[in-house]
Amino acid sequence: MPGVSTPVVDVDELVKVYPGGTRAVDGISFSVAAGTFLGFLGPNGAGKTTTIRILATLLRPTSGTARVAGLDVIADASAVRRKVGFAMQTVAIDQLSTGRENLELIGRLHRVPASDLRVRVDELLALMGLADVAGRLAGTYSGGMRRRLDLASALVHRPEVLFLDEPTEGLDPQSRSALWEELERINRTGTTMILTTHYMEEADRLCERLAIIDVGRIVVEGSPAELKRSVGADSVELRLIPNEGPGDGLAASQDEAARLLADLVPVAAIERTSAGVRLAVPDAERAIPGLMRRLDSGGVHIEGLSMASPSLDDVFLRHTGKRIRPEEADRPIDLGWST
Amino acid sequence: MTALLFESYYLGQRTLRRFYRVPANPISVVLYPLIQLFVFSQLFKDIVQLPGFGGGTSYLAYLAPGQITFTVFFAVSWSGGNLLVDYRNGYLDKLRVTPINRYSILIGELVPLFVECVIMAGAILVLSVLLGASIATGLPGAVAVLVLGGLFGVAWAGTSFVPALLTKNEQATGTLSILFFPVAFMSTAFVPPALMPDWLRVVNDWNPITFVIEAMRALMTTGFDWPAIGKALIAIAALGAVLHGATLWAFKRLTN
Repeated sequence: MPGVSTPVVDVDELVKVYPGGTRAVDGISFSVAAGTFLGFLGPNGAGKTTTIRILATLLRPTSGTARVAGLDVIADASAVRRKVGFAMQTVAIDQLSTGRENLELIGRLHRVPASDLRVRVDELLALMGLADVAGRLAGTYSGGMRRRLDLASALVHRPEVLFLDEPTEGLDPQSRSALWEELERINRTGTTMILTTHYMEEADRLCERLAIIDVGRIVVEGSPAELKRSVGADSVELRLIPNEGPGDGLAASQDEAARLLADLVPVAAIERTSAGVRLAVPDAERAIPGLMRRLDSGGVHIEGLSMASPSLDDVFLRHTGKRIRPEEADRPIDLGWST
Repeated sequence: MTALLFESYYLGQRTLRRFYRVPANPISVVLYPLIQLFVFSQLFKDIVQLPGFGGGTSYLAYLAPGQITFTVFFAVSWSGGNLLVDYRNGYLDKLRVTPINRYSILIGELVPLFVECVIMAGAILVLSVLLGASIATGLPGAVAVLVLGGLFGVAWAGTSFVPALLTKNEQATGTLSILFFPVAFMSTAFVPPALMPDWLRVVNDWNPITFVIEAMRALMTTGFDWPAIGKALIAIAALGAVLHGATLWAFKRLTN
């Protein structure tokens, strides 16, 4: 990240130990430049939600410091709340209020001036595609509409930083990609976004920077592309048309392909497959046109081609030794008294 | 202070919407006191003939204040559950990330409770008058009775909020707040002190609910008894200070 601007979020050695001894966050440090779209990727229970709740002033850290928009989340909690928006994992809307009433209440509590509030609420309702149902009780909304209303309510006061905790959890694929577009649009207006997710695809699509988090620690950090490159090369698989003539036509084609490609810079390794060859290249998308030209001019004919890149799951596996599993129990049932 | 009022006003609007937009709520809040008063007045019609009552008094007028406190107990017993619903579905957190005073959230919850208590007390008074009781202090006195009922409900709310915030369980909130009901039986809600055993009379002398009931009773049967009204307000303030202090403590504990 460019180190010129002062970070909008600055976290140093954050630790949260819950009563009962669970060490949910175990010494996390990071900083975020204004306008960044940062993602925390990790399985449930990794400490993502705890971290984001501390930053949103809902939870006090056990030790360490966290500053948001230059303000300490404990000492200046109230000032921090004016600058941040938080869309939580569970959609929190008042079902017995209309969509408009939901937004107006949150806007008033944020002291959005009355003259401004009406315009802002109309704007958000239109932006989220809720203008037609603004007068209906939020309890009658579909899952996707509730999510969008919830997101809108985190934006009424035009926050500098928007925290999103598993924003697309439980949404159907269509609503999910619609919401992604929405989030990208909000980020383009200059809002710093910090998102938690355990969906690889979501992290890959939205976040320019990722912090992979496991058992309360950041294990690796970087852009999705950097992270994926760090675990290994892309692979390109070519299905070859066997040479005509006597002998093993396929083997002849494979040999010919290997000879032609041997000196081509991007090819790191080449091996035979049952129908052709597999190449390891640093960047498959860029390598393919050159490969095609070389093979074509050398008279090796290609029947088909496929390519594969390391996924963020491979990144996670490399750094934590396990795969990101979906659902796991998040927190024990709270029976009261004990805490 | 203005911030607290501003926030409580808008939060109270929401909690009121939550109350009246479910038709069962306003309906039962009106019906319940009517049924209760009707049954009690039939059951105990002749009790005023007992020597301790000093005869003459209309039992309806005598009974109304006790009936009001009793309905207030019911309204309070289910009030803490709402806070739990907000806690569980994340709405409480949503309010907590806005730059508001934490106590505004609790005041917002008390608004519909005050309204419920006033409606219930009003239903009791109207039915009492319809059944033949007269209110000695007329309309101003009736309004004073309603206000006392509402204020008492607000003060008493802690008996539901504290169990709710400590147990985080709706059922436990209901069962625990019922434990406070006997306090009403240990007051002059239904019978005068003369008819009580000695130990109960001692309890009754110190029971804040008795002060509230006696002030209402004076308004119903004799006139504006200012010392009694003063004692009732002091009793409500003292109850409120203790119970709301505990509520605030439990609320901070829940949200830290």
